[in-house]
Amino acid sequence: MAWLTESFSLPFMQRALVIALIVGAVGGVLSAYVVIRRLAFFADTLTHTVFPGVAIASVLVQPLWIGALIAGLASTLAFTFLSRQRLVEDNAAMAVILTTFFAVGVMVVSRVTTFTNDLITLLFGQILTVDRGDIMASALLGGCAVLLTSVLHRELVARAFDPEGSAAAGRPVWALDLALNVAVTLVVVAALRAVGTVLVLALLVTPAATIRPWVRGVVPMAIGGALVGMSSGVIGLVIAYQASVERDVRLAPGATIVLVMTTVFALGSLAVWARRSIRHRVST
Amino acid sequence: MLPALVLDDMSVSFDGALALQHVSGIVAAGDSVALIGPNGAGKSTLLRAILGLVPLAAGSIEVLGQAPKAARRQVAYVPQADTFDPQFPISVIDVVTMGRAPIIGWWRRPRSVDRRAAAAALERVGLSERSRDRFGTLSGGQRQRVLLARAICQEARLLLLDEPFNGVDAVTQTTLIDVLDELRANGVAVVMATHDLAVAHLACGDACLLNRDQIAFGPIDEVLNSRHLRATYGDRPWVHVGDQVILANAAPSTR
Repeated sequence: MAWLTESFSLPFMQRALVIALIVGAVGGVLSAYVVIRRLAFFADTLTHTVFPGVAIASVLVQPLWIGALIAGLASTLAFTFLSRQRLVEDNAAMAVILTTFFAVGVMVVSRVTTFTNDLITLLFGQILTVDRGDIMASALLGGCAVLLTSVLHRELVARAFDPEGSAAAGRPVWALDLALNVAVTLVVVAALRAVGTVLVLALLVTPAATIRPWVRGVVPMAIGGALVGMSSGVIGLVIAYQASVERDVRLAPGATIVLVMTTVFALGSLAVWARRSIRHRVST
Repeated sequence: MLPALVLDDMSVSFDGALALQHVSGIVAAGDSVALIGPNGAGKSTLLRAILGLVPLAAGSIEVLGQAPKAARRQVAYVPQADTFDPQFPISVIDVVTMGRAPIIGWWRRPRSVDRRAAAAALERVGLSERSRDRFGTLSGGQRQRVLLARAICQEARLLLLDEPFNGVDAVTQTTLIDVLDELRANGVAVVMATHDLAVAHLACGDACLLNRDQIAFGPIDEVLNSRHLRATYGDRPWVHVGDQVILANAAPSTR
């Protein structure tokens, strides 16, 4: 196990480990709700709509996550409103909001020249340069998201399973939707610094998608998802570090984490397929 | 005793187009009414209106003497079983326990009394041994029985069912009819949408024939006649196959 302790002997790697564990756990838990509510495209929309917030925060020299949070919440409110009014179909609403917010971001960026570094952080994350403040922000945002979904857990599951029944029981379905959308937004912002907007979607979908065929409840799916998210974070960091130190191959840590997660998903899917074909053979 | 449901010349419209109009009738405690009509006749719309999910364009609905929204806790709804995602990660008993949500309330967790009620309801529909299985692994008929169990343990005074007999097996059909009879004996009123006239006869004492307009409302033996059925389903409402009579028209008539 020497390679494991060695990988995390340097302070920047320790900070990377902490944020990878936080983001992996929170993303894994939320992925359960994203999967049962089929919100993958909504999560993808958010990864784009935080862009103008980051751009403006960068210009104003403010913490990027605050800008991302404001833009993310604004787009969430806009989407929930359009969806509730049924003016347009949900997918179309998301596409309009995504492109509008992204266009604003592009306009801001095109007027400044100093944005390059922040843009790279936004797109790909920079997990090796996170500081204490980043960790605190991620923990706070992620904690709020998990708290929100835990408190509303039973209602969120009932609404995902049977929206008509939820409404018939007098539940404010749109408020439940808004709450979950806000929770997803918090996680997107929390994970920004670690894995970037391009890859955060993996955290919000892959863990629960991996676990789903093996469980009969949303709670085990969320716990299993958190385990997949956290272990992928640790393994991905170790691989990236060892490749860099031992082989002098520079792997982007955020991308490595995502590919580890994909590998777990692929192995899980293979096992599901194998189980199915064995059962099929036994039953025929 | 207060009637379970009073419909007073009620109409529903969507985007200005009338979906259902001039529906009137009274359903007493322990009564059961079959809503009969072709697809698009407004059966589901009427159920949704009774649940307070769609606004009325005219007339009124009273559920146990209250407005539909105020009476929701006393109304259980059984949706069609085939509208559910079979991949959804939820166990059978957890689906049934959802029926207790109006009693448990927002923040509290299910207590032992809720678990017992859910287990008893599942037992009543003959699916105790599938309690821990994933909902999606059950057959269509079994899923329908689970949804009925969910409604039973809500202990409502009015039960609404949307096409409960669609594509179900014989065991499920018998169980549904037995359970509905029991509930009625305990004073629960039942309203079910169906286009199966034979089942409507077995399960219901009254019928409401709909085709956007109300064609008839009354004792099922009196209102299910050829004149009303023609008005509901169009000129050739049924076909004879051997010695069976089958409703031919599943689409709305264009009178």
